[in-house]
Amino acid sequence: MASVPVQPLIPPPHLDRRWLRRPSLGKSALARNEARWGLIFLSPWLFGVLAFTLFPMIASLVFSVTNISLAQDEPLRFVGLENFQRMLADPQTWESLGVTFRFAAFNLPIAIVVPFVVALVLNNRYLRGVGMFRTLFFLPYVIPFVSGLLAWQGMLNLETGWVNEFLRIIGIQNPPNWLQDTTLIYPSLAFIGLWGIGAGVIINLAGLKGIPSELYDAARIDGAGSWATLRNVTLPMMSPVIFYSLILGIVDVLQYFLVPLVLYNGTGEPGGSTLFFNLVIYKQAFNFQNFSYGATLAWMLFGITLAITLVVFRTSRRWVYYAGER
Amino acid sequence: MTARLSRPGVLFAVFALVASACGGSATPLSASNVPVSTSSAVPSVAPSSGPATVAPGGPVEIRWYCCLGGGEAPEQKTVEDKVVADFNAANPNIHVTLEVVTYDQANGQLTTEIQSGNGPDIVGPVGIGGANAFHGKWLDLGPLITKNNYDLSGFPSNVVDIYKLDEGQVGIPFAIYPSALFYKKGMFEEAGLKEPPHKYGDQYQMPDGSMVDWNYDTARKVAQLLTVDKNNKDATQAGFDPKKIAQWGLELQRDDLRGMGAYFGPGTLASGDGKTVAIPDAWKAAWKYYYNSIWTDHISLTGPQFESKDINPKDYPFFNGNTAMSENFLWSTYGVADAGDDWDLAAIPTYNGAATAAFNADTFRILKDSKHPDEAFTFLSYLLGDASGALLLAYGGFPARTAAQQAGIDALQAQFTNPIDWQVAVDGIEHADKPNFEDFMPAYNESLGLVGSGGKYLTKWGNTAGLDMDKEIQSLQDEMQKIWDKAP
Repeated sequence: MASVPVQPLIPPPHLDRRWLRRPSLGKSALARNEARWGLIFLSPWLFGVLAFTLFPMIASLVFSVTNISLAQDEPLRFVGLENFQRMLADPQTWESLGVTFRFAAFNLPIAIVVPFVVALVLNNRYLRGVGMFRTLFFLPYVIPFVSGLLAWQGMLNLETGWVNEFLRIIGIQNPPNWLQDTTLIYPSLAFIGLWGIGAGVIINLAGLKGIPSELYDAARIDGAGSWATLRNVTLPMMSPVIFYSLILGIVDVLQYFLVPLVLYNGTGEPGGSTLFFNLVIYKQAFNFQNFSYGATLAWMLFGITLAITLVVFRTSRRWVYYAGER
Repeated sequence: MTARLSRPGVLFAVFALVASACGGSATPLSASNVPVSTSSAVPSVAPSSGPATVAPGGPVEIRWYCCLGGGEAPEQKTVEDKVVADFNAANPNIHVTLEVVTYDQANGQLTTEIQSGNGPDIVGPVGIGGANAFHGKWLDLGPLITKNNYDLSGFPSNVVDIYKLDEGQVGIPFAIYPSALFYKKGMFEEAGLKEPPHKYGDQYQMPDGSMVDWNYDTARKVAQLLTVDKNNKDATQAGFDPKKIAQWGLELQRDDLRGMGAYFGPGTLASGDGKTVAIPDAWKAAWKYYYNSIWTDHISLTGPQFESKDINPKDYPFFNGNTAMSENFLWSTYGVADAGDDWDLAAIPTYNGAATAAFNADTFRILKDSKHPDEAFTFLSYLLGDASGALLLAYGGFPARTAAQQAGIDALQAQFTNPIDWQVAVDGIEHADKPNFEDFMPAYNESLGLVGSGGKYLTKWGNTAGLDMDKEIQSLQDEMQKIWDKAP
């Protein structure tokens, strides 16, 4: 068999070493053209980020060290960290943070576990009509959230709500006032939150579908039962999805706002249990017209969210498994 | 292939994720009390007189900001657009632009515009409370009224005085909404009761024939007779089931605790020093009356009943046709047709011998920072003058100008088949609360969170039985004092 001549790995003399080390595609006309079109297509998003996220963020940072407030006629001036001092000394800051964290501790596990469990059920090969169930779970997600909320407000009404009507039918003559009882308010809000788990279910379901079936086959051959399979195959393989859900869940719960605003007009009722931190920010900035103080509170929320997210990112090395990663 | 982000890359990714996630928007909700006219007819509007030529440099730009207190409905905007177009056509030196912002967003957006130095020139229609959210920002019209010889004599003097504040004469009356007691004749007849008096000062004949003062105690007794459960027992009878009420006797105006108080007597929460919260005794009595009407007398809807779309689908119980009497402002005529065709107006009951008909009023105001106050005043005069007929019709407003009130009554009556004693409402102007319950108080917007529409205590009292109202009122006062103490 004739041997094939092997080309020596030596660059031709007309090419310098940079060409070999790092192909510079940007120098070609085609690449430049692609880059230009890429930027053109990205530009609406870039403009949006600059105009509606970055610029307002910088503006709010500037606000936080000034005295902008319609409630007083004082001329605009630099106040340094005065607003931050006021924030730290304001009992409402800590009360509303307490409310937010208490609710987060209750709601976050539910918001992550329930969509995962529902996705597991929908992923069961013995389940018939998966498509229908998937649609049913996703359907509420496409309904405007406020409309859904108002419907829930009606369903949980003490007098005429369907939930209490049902409880009366089964013999509970004095059913609870779900939305006005301080001991039931967080379960009620979490219950309402489950209305919108459709997106979470779809994401989890997509993750489950992406797990290679060979892993389950191998586990079955090794004699693993359902629990062992879940623990040793499904959970590790789903950990990136769970991680994603966790990060978004944390951000969502720290920003919890719309539900208490719609249901309680932002009053914090019952008994201050719905005075969430984000609601305080909104009220200070837009209801009480204390822009600077509202901006200060917003930066505190941003700092807290960032810190928690970073911690979660840091811990993710220990529990998130990326199959493609070496 | 392994894809790893550098540490700064991770930080940026986290920052971007949090920042984008923090960018979610939410739309605040608020209920509007402002009537919506069903009419879109635009009567001929005579434009103000003005120079026929355009001044060098072009016309002066004036921005009209709507809708802190209604005016956003499409049929209303049609009228507003026509009003603006007519004015612009007749005034080449002034160009007015209408800026319509929906009621639920209007406060926040105006705040932002003023704060950014981009405020409009003229704002309205806006009520007394809505305007007080921007206390200190309104122009004193006094000098312009004098300069232009604007005639205020056509308005009731007590209504003009409502706009006389520490900031000056901040408004000229436009639309007014006196209160009255709306009642269902059929329910009185069915219960064998005499109808409540239409004339302030008249007495009421009880079922036993005795003549008594038409006061809140009498109203409570009558309301109990008119409150009926599903077994047809009234609230005075043994076996009456308060959990199965089919018809309620009396509904107080529960949009605002201050307004509710004002029906018992005029006042404000601010004491003379402007720093100390002082709740008028009449208001305390009104709040206790309200609480008892729900939980003891069972003549009014509980909070959950009020919130239930099954029991109270039309937001104001009287509109549902199952409430016998209801105190409310004249703007509530926008939905009262739903109550049936047997309703009428009666005098507000007295408290401690005096009747007070809480008062709402809308007008247009000029912002202090307007760069063109003279031109804004020209436009304001037009809105309150030539354009007022069309606008009042569109807004469902009752004319503040005495001479125009008969036309206002005719327009109101034209909406109903049953004859209404509108004179009761006109008489209510005399009994308007002065000071107005919506007058300024320190930390106005924050204080509203306690006593305003959907406020904390109103909600709590409607939802919770067995409260000690003396303690509750004291708690409200203490909480509000804390807010005022922090106010700049």
